[in-house]
Amino acid sequence: MIQKSRVNRAQLFALLLPGLLVFGMFTVYPIVRLFWMSLCDMRFSSMLTQPFAGLLNYRQVFGDGTFWMVFVNSVVYTLITVPGQMVIGLFIAVLLNGIKRFSVTFRVINYLPVVTSWVIASLVFRYIFNTEGLLNHFLWKVLGVTSGNIRWLDTRWSGLSVAMILGIWKGIGWNMVIFLAALQQVPKDLYEAADIDGCGAWKKFVCVTLPGIRGTILFALIELTIGGFNVFTSIKMITGGKPAHQTDTLLTWMYYKAFSTGQFGYAAALSFVMALSLGLLAIVQFRMMRSREA
Amino acid sequence: MNTFRKILAAAVACMLLLSACAALAEGETVINFWHHYSAQSAENETLMNVLIPAFEAENPGIKVNAVSHEWAELHDKVLVSANSNALPDVARCDIAWLPEFQKMGILVALDEEMADFADVSGQLLDSAMSTAAIGGHYYALALNTNSKIVFYNTAMLEEAGVAVPATMDEWAEAVKALSGENANGQQVWGWNEPALAGWNICPFIWSFGGALTDPDQTVATGYVNGPQTVKAVETFAALVQAGAITGFNAGDIPMTDGFGTGRYAMMLEGPWKSAELAGAYPDVVYGTAPIPAGEGGSTSVLGGEDIAMFNTANREAAWRFMQFMTGEYAETEMAKCGQIPVNKAALESDTVKNADYAPFIEAIQTARARPTVAAWSEMDNGLQVAMTAIVNGEKTAQEALDELAAQWDELLK
Amino acid sequence: MKRMNAARVRAAIIRYLLLAVGTVVFTLPMLYMISTSLRPNGALYEYPPRFFPKPEALTLENYDYILRQSKFYLNFLNSVLVSVSTILLAAAVASAMAFVLGKFKSRGTKTLFAFIIITMIIPGTTMIVPQFELATKLGLVNRLWGLIPFYVAWVIPFSTFMIKGFMENIPGEIMEACWIDGADVWTVYTRVALPLASPALASVSIFNFLTAWEEYPWANTVINDNNRRTLPIAIAGFFGQHQFTQWGYVFAMSVLTLIPVVLIFILCQKFFVQGLTAGSVKG
Repeated sequence: MIQKSRVNRAQLFALLLPGLLVFGMFTVYPIVRLFWMSLCDMRFSSMLTQPFAGLLNYRQVFGDGTFWMVFVNSVVYTLITVPGQMVIGLFIAVLLNGIKRFSVTFRVINYLPVVTSWVIASLVFRYIFNTEGLLNHFLWKVLGVTSGNIRWLDTRWSGLSVAMILGIWKGIGWNMVIFLAALQQVPKDLYEAADIDGCGAWKKFVCVTLPGIRGTILFALIELTIGGFNVFTSIKMITGGKPAHQTDTLLTWMYYKAFSTGQFGYAAALSFVMALSLGLLAIVQFRMMRSREA
Repeated sequence: MNTFRKILAAAVACMLLLSACAALAEGETVINFWHHYSAQSAENETLMNVLIPAFEAENPGIKVNAVSHEWAELHDKVLVSANSNALPDVARCDIAWLPEFQKMGILVALDEEMADFADVSGQLLDSAMSTAAIGGHYYALALNTNSKIVFYNTAMLEEAGVAVPATMDEWAEAVKALSGENANGQQVWGWNEPALAGWNICPFIWSFGGALTDPDQTVATGYVNGPQTVKAVETFAALVQAGAITGFNAGDIPMTDGFGTGRYAMMLEGPWKSAELAGAYPDVVYGTAPIPAGEGGSTSVLGGEDIAMFNTANREAAWRFMQFMTGEYAETEMAKCGQIPVNKAALESDTVKNADYAPFIEAIQTARARPTVAAWSEMDNGLQVAMTAIVNGEKTAQEALDELAAQWDELLK
Repeated sequence: MKRMNAARVRAAIIRYLLLAVGTVVFTLPMLYMISTSLRPNGALYEYPPRFFPKPEALTLENYDYILRQSKFYLNFLNSVLVSVSTILLAAAVASAMAFVLGKFKSRGTKTLFAFIIITMIIPGTTMIVPQFELATKLGLVNRLWGLIPFYVAWVIPFSTFMIKGFMENIPGEIMEACWIDGADVWTVYTRVALPLASPALASVSIFNFLTAWEEYPWANTVINDNNRRTLPIAIAGFFGQHQFTQWGYVFAMSVLTLIPVVLIFILCQKFFVQGLTAGSVKG
């Protein structure tokens, strides 16, 4: 402790400063500004004056039927892709955890979709799910399970399904890697004890594995929920919101309002509501997992 | 740590080198020119490889930085850039956007600021220049004009025993008769419509005798939800629901590809389509015809682009470039890839006389312009939403258009 | 015992089978992309569609077309420049913060760290409107410098979080020894902390590289000029023309864009896994 007094506080601060500056300017300031913008009447035509408008933007957002539609889209997207990725990722991790050879090879290949960029992956999926595309041909003419081309990209739920399938496909690898690491940290003697008790594989999974990786599950849940609401590029590339914004999600709709119609105030209010609710959601998720642990 | 330092040094060196390169280019006047000639088109090739080099040779010290945007994106980028002081000097704008841009106060009134405006505009067609006139001033130079006519796949019509439709009733019959399956068991459609916006739907509304607004463009109720408009939209929607029209869905075959491979029998398109088809699908045999006539006659939609200067522009250099682009040489070159000139001298040139524009120029005579109001982009979006609901059977044509009329009345106030 | 072994073998076979099936599903889309990039554009709507092109129809013309365009090299260079600048700046800035926050714990540094972590909850794209306004005010619109500081700011929380974990593991005795030798903070940071935390820096940098390399919404908003576009917007721009899409070109460009990423990933996959798991196991 005596030595600590030698530490030059100014130097410490100097080390912190560049990071604080960049972070403060390009992240913290925009967050504060976002809140302020959401209270102003900001449009293309009134950019210079920016009159204070109180809760006008919030009223507009909540009174807008399209907002509720895209809100439902985002919620459904998250509710399906998050468990989808986690369950399949965990399943593959369990499989990988039990094999000795080729484990790294499988891991690398299964992780490739994660490093593929969203733009490219979305275009590939758009091409595959095209009404005249390979998938429809395969389902109809090769397997014979459909009796015509399915219009995957053309309607609200089928268009969103394609985005969701992409989201799951692209996210499994990440889940696999973190769950695999977690599985390797579950103490072996717990499994041995379960063996002695005569537990089956499923019982062992439920009673030993799942509690053992609870922390990782929580981490994945929070991260993926944020990611689910952050979906943007895939929607923009695959359906572009067609037909008539029915496949838009919160962020693509926000972007449209801001950059195509110039209603920056509306977009800011929407963004702020989103950020706030995700923060609350994260806290709730955290609390839920913690309370179960206790 | 040593390797890390080496990489760092190399990266820093690279960046210095690059910024040096960028600095070298300074000292010249650079004009930023935004357009929506698509990146892989013949127009863009001509612009980049013929016109700009010619202009730069004629005007030493001026460089043109041409930026290609997708059509809708160009509109949005201009609006956003207007608020971020990042506007280009010059842009090629759809004639439908000018009122909106003018209202935002970002366009230069050319007749006020350019001494030789009358000389320059005198070389262009008056009818085309009228698209740039707003409130007694001129905010752009006319660049090219167009309209859409019917392209039909000759073999498909012959095979189905269908004559080229001359009336809207015949058209509806023909579209239905041409739809079905081809020899491979693939679905074919009688008609392609790549979107449900005003550009796409107006020709039908007008030809059926309907309208979007009153002649003064102040009220929509009674026009966009009037009986003729509703009938046009209902006819169109019924054909969509019967599987005879497609193209506006995200999963559909793109227009040119579908027409070139015999999946779409007919489409309504502009003069640029001939060059595109010749490049991508040289084997397809097709004919053209005016849009079928209904109660409102054969009325297509007037298209075209103006070239406008923004108020942040380098006036002198930008004006020179605009003169160049609307001059005889540039207009004649662009005519070779399907852009109908508005320059009187270019219209007299052999290139243009030999090009097959006659049907388009004919269509322009009876074509109508989309509403020339500042709120058009927003109205157009409302129209697309309404049309989508109608063709998907979520609302009846009357319901959706009544709602649209109310929305438009607000926007037109 | 024998029966036990037979059961084990059977279980292993099932595992490998399932994994093999999964692997096929994972790779099919990418293989289809590669196979499409190798066929002429005219064959895109061929009937019936094929997963693999006919051997005689294989062609490199799409690659030839892309590689003959000078714009492609510019876009590539832009992406490299932006990504490299981002990872260098982020590594420098985040490691310094992580060093202070990890090794000099006080109520102030703890609060600061918590605050930085909380911002990770907000999806990046929600801030695009005020960030665009900021870029406008700073004159960063349509410049590569309009991308780099924003990317650095985005990756700071995660990078700091990861590197801090490593910094905390630096034994206290080493630091004590340094103080006794009269070293100052700067020397300890550069000579002791940075070298010891270099594995963390490496794995963080790989993630940051990927983030910057593939970022689309922000770059698409800020950059206008073709010559300043990064690869993702260049690819999306190629696709923009809806009436006549040249999938062959789009996918050839995509494959060329993915090559560096996949190479880096395969070569550095050890760091990758380290980086990922450090976050999750602690969390």
